[in-house]
Amino acid sequence: MTSTTMDTATAELLTGSLRELFAGSAGRAVGPALAALGWAEVVAEDPAGATTLLFTEHGRALASSPALDAVLLAELDRVLPAGNGTRAVLYPYPDDGDQPSTVDGPVRGLLLAGLESVDEVVVPVRANGAVALLVADPAGCPAEPVAGFDAGSGWLMVSGWQPAGEPVPAAQPWERAVAAGRRALAAEIAGVCQAALDLAVAHTSARVQYGRPIASFQAVRHRLAEGHVAISDIASMLDAAWATAGSANGGAWAAAMTKLRAGRAQAEVMRHGVQVLGAMGLTSESEMHRHVTRAGALDALLGGHRLLSETTGRALLAGAPADPVVEV
Amino acid sequence: MTSTATASLATDLGAYRTSLRAYLNNGDALDRWRGKHHGSTEDRIAEHAALMAHLYQDGWNRYGWPAEAGGHGGDERHRGVLYDELSAAGLPVPDPQLMLETLGPAVVRFAPDLAARYLPEYLRGANWWGQGFSEPEAGSDLAGLRCRARREGEHYVLSGQKLWTSHGATASRFVCLVRTGTPESRHRGLSMIMVDAAAPGVSVRPIALASGYRELAEVFFDDVVVPADRLVGEEGQGWAVAMYLLQWERAMYAWQSAAVALRRFRELLGQVAGKPLPDGAATRIGECYGDIVALRARSVRTVRRLAAGETVGPEASVDKVLLATAETSLHDLARDLLGTDFVLGAGADTGDWRADWWFSRSATILGGSAEVQRTILADHVLGLPKEPRA
Repeated sequence: MTSTTMDTATAELLTGSLRELFAGSAGRAVGPALAALGWAEVVAEDPAGATTLLFTEHGRALASSPALDAVLLAELDRVLPAGNGTRAVLYPYPDDGDQPSTVDGPVRGLLLAGLESVDEVVVPVRANGAVALLVADPAGCPAEPVAGFDAGSGWLMVSGWQPAGEPVPAAQPWERAVAAGRRALAAEIAGVCQAALDLAVAHTSARVQYGRPIASFQAVRHRLAEGHVAISDIASMLDAAWATAGSANGGAWAAAMTKLRAGRAQAEVMRHGVQVLGAMGLTSESEMHRHVTRAGALDALLGGHRLLSETTGRALLAGAPADPVVEV
Repeated sequence: MTSTATASLATDLGAYRTSLRAYLNNGDALDRWRGKHHGSTEDRIAEHAALMAHLYQDGWNRYGWPAEAGGHGGDERHRGVLYDELSAAGLPVPDPQLMLETLGPAVVRFAPDLAARYLPEYLRGANWWGQGFSEPEAGSDLAGLRCRARREGEHYVLSGQKLWTSHGATASRFVCLVRTGTPESRHRGLSMIMVDAAAPGVSVRPIALASGYRELAEVFFDDVVVPADRLVGEEGQGWAVAMYLLQWERAMYAWQSAAVALRRFRELLGQVAGKPLPDGAATRIGECYGDIVALRARSVRTVRRLAAGETVGPEASVDKVLLATAETSLHDLARDLLGTDFVLGAGADTGDWRADWWFSRSATILGGSAEVQRTILADHVLGLPKEPRA
C-alpha cells in the first residue's frame, strides 16, 4: 500500500512526457512547460505519485530548474498576500539546515535559478525565534552564480542581502514547506542515484578484464547490490513520509528522516559508482561525476544527512520520542 | 470475548490495534515480563512461552492465523501489529514467535492437517519448533545437504545431522529439510518433514554462543522413524516449500526485529541519559534511529504484500540487508555508548547488552548470509553477469 493512486500505465505515460520535457527545457522555462502539460491537475489528483515522479525524473535527467520552488510555495503562498507574477524562494544556506537567517541582520541563502524573470522573492527569516516570510523585490538582490562542486546546478548564492518588507508569521507553513521540499528532494536524489547505478551496471557488464565482465566479480557485484538496497530504502521511506504528509506539521519528522536516508544513500551509491568505473569514474569523460556532484548538492539543500543525523540524535537525547514513523 | 467481537477484530486491523494496546497497558498483569533479565536461554524461552500462554488465553496472539490452525483469522498484518504493540508496551516479543513466523505459514499452506494438530499448542506456548536446515557440509549452499530420509512403508527413516538450530535445545519438534532423492539430486531430491524431538534416535547437543547463552543446537538423527503423514508438502517438494518459507523468514523476522530494535533503542537512550557520552554520540544515535526507521519502512511494505497474498521474490533480500544493518548498528551503538561499562560492567542491563551484542552478530549470517543476500540481488534483481562456477 502506497500513498500514490497512480496506475502503472499512467505512470509510464507521464514518465515519458517528463523525460521529453527535461530534454527540451531547463531553468525557469520548466515551470511553463509543466503548466502546458497540465501538471497541476496531475498533482491535484495524486500529490504523492505526481511529486515523486516529477522529482525522480528531474534527478534522473540531472535537470536544472527551480521546480522545487513550486513545492514550497504551495505551502507558503497560503499565508502570503496574493502573488504578483512569478515568485522565487530563497533557501537557507545549507549549514543552517531548515533555519533561515535572522531578520535583523543580512540574510544568506540559495536561489535555484536566476532572477531575470522573477517578480518577487519569498525570503524566510527568523523573527523572535519563529520563522516569518518577507516578500522582497528581486532588484538589488546580490545573487552570484554558484561555482562549487556541482558546475551544472544553475544555483545562485545570496549573501549580505537586507531585503525590505513586512515579515509575515509563517512558523507552521514553513515547517510544512520544508517537509514537502525534503520529500521532493529525496525523490530527486533517488533519481540521480538510479541513473548513476544504471551507468555503473552498464559499464561493469560491458567492461571485460581477466576474460570476463567485471560485474561478474563478487566485489563489484556486492557494491552494486548495496547501491540497489540504498535506492530501495529511499522509495520505502518516501512511502512512510507521504503517509504522514497530511498531519498539521506536514509530516515534518518523517520527511526529515527520509531526507536523511536519501542523503546517506547518495553517499553510498556514489562511492560504489565511482569505484566500479575504475579511473573513468573520476574523469570528465564519464557522466558519473555529474551524478556525484548533483547528488552532493541536493543532499546539502534543506539540511544534509550529517546535519540531520546530528539534530535528530540531539532531539532524541533531549527526550523527543523515538517515533515509530511506520505502522502496519 | 464474544465470537462476534473476535470476528470484527479479525477484519478491522485498526480496532485490533486499539484494543490490543488497551489490553497491554491495562494494569500490572503483564509486569512479570517487563524489564526482566534471564540467566539462560532456557529460562528466557520458558518465560516467553508463559507470555504466549497468557496472550493465547485472552486471544491476542491468535489473530493472523486461520481458525483451522487454532487462530482467530486475520492476516500477517495482525501479527505485525502484535509485535509492534508488545514492543511499544515495553514487553518482549516471545522468542518462540520467531520460529512460528518462519515455519508456521509453510506448515499451514503445505500441511494443513499438521497445522490443525500442532499449531494451537504452539500458539499457547505449550511447545515450539526448531528449523532443521543447515548441516556441517551445507550452510549457505543448502542444496548440498545430506541428512537422509528413506521411505519404508508408511514411515520415513531419518539419519544424519542438522546444525545451528535456533531454540534447538528446548524445541519439541523439528521441521527438517532432508534428502529423499539421490545424493547428486541437489535441490530436486529434497523433502520437508516434521520430526518429534522425543522420538527414539534423536539427540540434541546445545551450542553456546560466546556470551554463554545456548541459543543454538546441533541435532543428530540415528535411524529415527517418522510417520509419512509428517511430510510438509509432497516428497521431493522440499525446495519449493523452503523457498515459500523464506518469504516469511526474511520478511516477518525483519518486522519482528525492527519492533524489538526500537524498544531496545529506547531502553538504551534511557540507560545513557545524563551520562557523559563520547564525541559524535548524537550523530551516531540519529544514524542508528534512521537505520531502524528505514528497516520498518521497507519491512511494512513486505508485510502488507504477504498479507495481500503476493509472492515476495528476491527483492526480500533488501529487507534482510536492512535488517542486518539495523541490528549491527544498534548493538555497536550500545557497545560504544556504554563504553567501559560494556567491557567491565557487572550490571544486569549491561550483561543483556553484551549477550545481545553477540547475538546481533548473527544478523549477517542466519537465514542467508549478508554475502548471499547481495549475490541474490546481483543475480536476480540487477541481472548482472553471473559469477563463474567453481
